[in-house]
Amino acid sequence: MTLTLAVIITVVLLLIGAPIFIVICGLTLYLFYSSQIDFSAIIVEIYRLATTPVLVAIPLFTFAGYLLSESGAARRLIRLSNAFLGWLPGGLAVIALCTCAVFTALTGATGLTIIALGGILLPAMMRARYSEPFSLGLVTTSGTLGLLFPPSLPLIVYAVVAKVRIDHLFIAGILPGILLVVLLSAFSVYQSLRTEVPRSRFQLNEVLEALKDAAWELPLPAVVLGGIYSGFFAVSEAAAISAVYVLLVETVIYRDISFRALPGIMRQSMVLVGGILIILGAAMGLTNYLIDEQIPLRMLAFFKAHIHSKIIFLMVLNGFLLAVGCTMGIFSALVVVVPLLGPIAQAYGIDPLHLGIIFLTNLEIGASIPPLGINLFIASMRFEKPVLRLYVASLPFIAILLLALALITYWPSLSLMLIK
Amino acid sequence: MNRWQRFDNFISRLEQLMISVLLGVMILAAFLQIVLRNFFSTGLAWGDPLVRYLVIWVGFIGASLAVREGKHITIEIVAHWLPARANRYLRSVSHLFSALVCGLLSWAALKFVRVEALMGGPAIFGLPSWVPQIILPAAFGIMTLRFGAQFGIELFTDSSSGLKRYQNLKT
Repeated sequence: MTLTLAVIITVVLLLIGAPIFIVICGLTLYLFYSSQIDFSAIIVEIYRLATTPVLVAIPLFTFAGYLLSESGAARRLIRLSNAFLGWLPGGLAVIALCTCAVFTALTGATGLTIIALGGILLPAMMRARYSEPFSLGLVTTSGTLGLLFPPSLPLIVYAVVAKVRIDHLFIAGILPGILLVVLLSAFSVYQSLRTEVPRSRFQLNEVLEALKDAAWELPLPAVVLGGIYSGFFAVSEAAAISAVYVLLVETVIYRDISFRALPGIMRQSMVLVGGILIILGAAMGLTNYLIDEQIPLRMLAFFKAHIHSKIIFLMVLNGFLLAVGCTMGIFSALVVVVPLLGPIAQAYGIDPLHLGIIFLTNLEIGASIPPLGINLFIASMRFEKPVLRLYVASLPFIAILLLALALITYWPSLSLMLIK
Repeated sequence: MNRWQRFDNFISRLEQLMISVLLGVMILAAFLQIVLRNFFSTGLAWGDPLVRYLVIWVGFIGASLAVREGKHITIEIVAHWLPARANRYLRSVSHLFSALVCGLLSWAALKFVRVEALMGGPAIFGLPSWVPQIILPAAFGIMTLRFGAQFGIELFTDSSSGLKRYQNLKT
């Protein structure tokens, strides 16, 4: 009875906008109090963060991502892909998708993509006579595209929470990530052929110029990914190398960022890191209590009694995760839901790596789903358009993403074939 | 309230300074480890623990600043459909609750550090293990004060956007 009341109060506090980590800690404190566990146990759980080795990748990659988004990297990236792909029908739309995917992977799906790239891509698409709803929908839903490509922050957080090998998860994300980009690109090409968007000519000069312009940034993905995949260095080392490299390139070589701007960028990025870490720590306390109380086992018994087939379980999982991604946001959903659903999914015979890709694809799409997906609000602020217009504009893109989600969910080897 | 704002500004400048220094050291230490490991096949014994402690410190200072800037991750469903006045009262409820929870967490963290001071072993650089843990009660303590102050500002300031205006002033 009192437990029900506590849960209701928790939900109400969440809805009126209390920070998620506060609500999780509050609930944990209540549960500890009622089972007479000492309060300092919650601090023990939070402090266990200090023993998680891969954690350092989070601040380092986030800092590198913020540096990139403050620099001219977005402009150079767009110029380069335009030089390569601008002659294709739907070229600009495909460019937008590819650059958003790369940028999101590097900056970690934290809303930076729409803010940093959207402002360049949207006007360019409008000038190239793409329709407004199409352009808006594309830029909005692309805000989290690329989340499956390494070294995106949600991949790292999933690996930490679910305790899977991070290099394997990085490999598992590649083909599903490409599938999302390819399906959206095909749709864009089809749209632009139908509306007869004019194309630009392929010019070798421009390709060379753009290559020269971005010469210092191009090696970054190669070094990071090549290093991780070849096993030459660990993920946390790749993060340190990225941070040092991006810092040198943007402040000393391109001089896009002055040394005086650095403390501000450090602060902004670490405020975000703090917000994620503290939820991670808080959720460790709550989920460990729930696991001690065998809640996942009881949930499993309930699931087993009502859902017999793996396929139906996956459908329920997808629906649930889309709703969670739309309301809770990617990071809080990951740290709270993964420890609870992970064991259940495993009991249904779902590989933890495949589950991770399902999770992240759902959360990625959920971020664009009306009425609450975070991408819609960020885009609405960035482009100064009413949210309702973005709801309508993003619908066709969401339909395609859902198709891809079905493929990713029911075709496990797409995620797993590169690992074996 | 003026005195609080001066105190809050002082703390946040200190936090800014610490973030810059600690993040800088973290990047250097992590990078130095890679260089040593790959080119000299050696490493610093204190390197990895130092980096892990720095992550905790930088993270908690960031979390404390996030309270000041209103940047913690929230679900604001109700706020979109309610008039400003009602929102203000709901926000003050949420700030009060947050202050209470952070207060309890500060107390729990103090207790945790005290136990560690009695029983813990050494950390790095010959320091006892409770020293790096100091950041927990400190950060939760500052968060308690900040949430408490935001509760007061939200409840007792005339303008319906009291806190928003206050937050704009700071940045």
